Amino acid sequence: MTAVDWGWFPEHIGDMTALTLDHLSIAVPAVFFGLVIALPLAVVAHRVRRLRGLILGASNVLFTIPSLAFFILLLPVTGLTRSTAVTGLTIYTLVVLIRNSVEGLDSVPAHAREASVAMGSRPLRTLLTVELPLALPVIMAGVRVATVMSISLVSVASYIGYGGLGQLFTDGFQRSYTTPVIAGVLLTLLLALLADGLLVGVQYLCTPWARSRTRTARTKTSRTRRTRTSTAGATTAPSTTATTQGKGV
Amino acid sequence: MSSIPAPRRRTVLSGLLAAAAVPAVTACSGGITSLKGGGSGGSGAADSGAGLVIGTANFTENQILGHLYAEALRGSGVKATVKPSLGSREVVVPALEGGDIDLLPEYQGNLLLHFDKKAKETEAGELQNALAAELPASLEALPYAAAEDKDVFAVTRETAEKHGLKSYADLRKTDGELVFGGPAEDKTRVVGLVGFRERYDVTFKEFKALDASGPLVKGALKKGDVDIANLFSTDADIRENDWVVLSDPLHMVPAQHVVPVVRSAVADAPVRKALARLGTALTTSELSKLNRMVDVDREDPDDVAAEWAAEHGLTEN
Amino acid sequence: MLQLLADLARWLTGPAQWQGSGGIAVRLLEHLEYSLLATLAGAVLALPLGLFIGHTRRFAFLAINLAGFGRALPTVGLVTLVFLAGGLSMWPVYVALIALAVPVIVTNTYAGMTAVDPDVTDAARGVGMTGPQVLFKVELPLALPLVMTGLRLAMIQVVSTATIAAYVSFGGLGRYIFDGLAQRDLVQVLGGAVLVAVVAVLLDLAMAGLQRSLFRNRPADAR
Repeated sequence: MTAVDWGWFPEHIGDMTALTLDHLSIAVPAVFFGLVIALPLAVVAHRVRRLRGLILGASNVLFTIPSLAFFILLLPVTGLTRSTAVTGLTIYTLVVLIRNSVEGLDSVPAHAREASVAMGSRPLRTLLTVELPLALPVIMAGVRVATVMSISLVSVASYIGYGGLGQLFTDGFQRSYTTPVIAGVLLTLLLALLADGLLVGVQYLCTPWARSRTRTARTKTSRTRRTRTSTAGATTAPSTTATTQGKGV
Repeated sequence: MSSIPAPRRRTVLSGLLAAAAVPAVTACSGGITSLKGGGSGGSGAADSGAGLVIGTANFTENQILGHLYAEALRGSGVKATVKPSLGSREVVVPALEGGDIDLLPEYQGNLLLHFDKKAKETEAGELQNALAAELPASLEALPYAAAEDKDVFAVTRETAEKHGLKSYADLRKTDGELVFGGPAEDKTRVVGLVGFRERYDVTFKEFKALDASGPLVKGALKKGDVDIANLFSTDADIRENDWVVLSDPLHMVPAQHVVPVVRSAVADAPVRKALARLGTALTTSELSKLNRMVDVDREDPDDVAAEWAAEHGLTEN
Repeated sequence: MLQLLADLARWLTGPAQWQGSGGIAVRLLEHLEYSLLATLAGAVLALPLGLFIGHTRRFAFLAINLAGFGRALPTVGLVTLVFLAGGLSMWPVYVALIALAVPVIVTNTYAGMTAVDPDVTDAARGVGMTGPQVLFKVELPLALPLVMTGLRLAMIQVVSTATIAAYVSFGGLGRYIFDGLAQRDLVQVLGGAVLVAVVAVLLDLAMAGLQRSLFRNRPADAR
């Protein structure tokens, strides 16, 4: 391996920018469409107990299929287009998004829902104005995981030419040239970090009620040493299983 | 906890959805038509503002060729964009048939074998006629270039001397002791194990699925993990490593002149003229030189192509 | 569609398909070898780290950030990088798979440890248990369900990702996916994908069974 060719970076700012935008144009729609599909399914899974196992199980099984195979199998259907990459990634976001949304809805206290119903709200209104907002922190935790995972997985689609920053891996691989690969890895990490930070910010703005709760929780923590560090987990990531899920290929 | 005023709740939710949707929508309409970047947005190949969409396969020479096509087309006033490294032939040719791309730099023999696994033609002129017959009606192979990049099977100098190898026929002397390295498709195609068995009666000890003239097969040949490797004749590493390219007395490998394959619907006169002009100027030695600049000197395929096209007067009408 | 499924069934059940050096049996074993070795190596690295962070509650930021970092790391890039650095060997594959497994195991182990009721550990210390005794006799047994969850998740991811071995010319079920594409044989691709999914699901069920048998005599409070 040759050392990193630092001169490459300033010469390729335009390319890196274009590839980063390209990367986002695949990862972001995947999460968006994933959410559009996952939320209704999660509501169904939450309401209809009998379908719950089926929906969660199916999304789990889909998750075990290697993403490259998905891209290849989608080729005859969606062609060699951006849609193929987006569709493949959307499927992988489902497992995290559905699970977190179901858990989020489960976590809504019954009395909150009952109060809304008692006030005469229709079920849809209760769902939109009470349940979903209260489930938002858990759903957002899922959105964060799904986003970071999608950003990391886009590079697999470089095998079908839509890998965003992953195109740099192919290029480096073909020419035994380390520098573009390092650039690709670093930019992917940076992008994931920024996207995650952005979502934390969005969540902060969207859940004003949670802010005060976090503050009180935090003061409590400092008072009683024994609750220790688990508050972060309580507000942003109650579901350990879902938050630690990811995928490589 | 349930005492959030209702209007606030709704803004919260719609705000979230909007936040997710805005970048998605802007990204989808994507105007990223930059150079070697990630290609163009949208799926309709010819109808978008990108002009002619040139697809390229996943090896550097093909990307150089794609950029050369783009330069030549632009020189004739045709708008064109290059989609770099879309995948193997098995991915890009169907994409051409499906209209996701408009134009593809290809190689005569291998392209023909893609459509007709049993094709016997080996000479350039015959191949061109066969292509005209075998290609789907929606596609057309334009006149081929002077440059040729053939599949070759090479051994190290050491192996060649040890077994006295000069041609593929000599491989029979090795009694199936050699390990063969090439792309996975070599296992099932004529320019590969099938041809060696049927044309030369040669078998190998083992087949290793690597890549075609890529880092895997070249690394394996260097390390001795494979004895004979599928390379491309224009690969700069052959001379660099003093590898021995064996001859093909029985014409197992067909001629592989560079040939533009285009969707007939977009092949108008300026396109034909531009690519014909490029084909005359582009010789095998020029192509090898370009490969060397990209693979060994690590220049960018688009820069190399732009310079070369300008030098050869292809950028002005 | 139906035709594809019929072809798939034929591909999966053909006896010739299962034999020989490129047969399904060999590919399955290779795949299991890569996956199990990588998960095991990941566990050996990650478990002590997770237990340490969970027990001492120090470097907790590390556990949390490691998860995010691990998820963001593009596997293809990592494989390529290690390949370019060290040449063709199984190392690129193992490095990438272990990098995938470690964060999942660390964070779940850590989460399991923090979920242990502080009153319980305090009581254990109160009756004179030493640090290691508290760790191994109290915290670890209580944290075990989440530790196992971490191992199971890591395993699923590793099994699905081990297909990348074929990208750098090695075996495993990924061969069918890469070769299927190269030979324009979608049935082969589909067959490979189905086999990977089946292996992942079966291994997960096996781990779940193991987990259940481990906790047979335990009160249900450990979730």
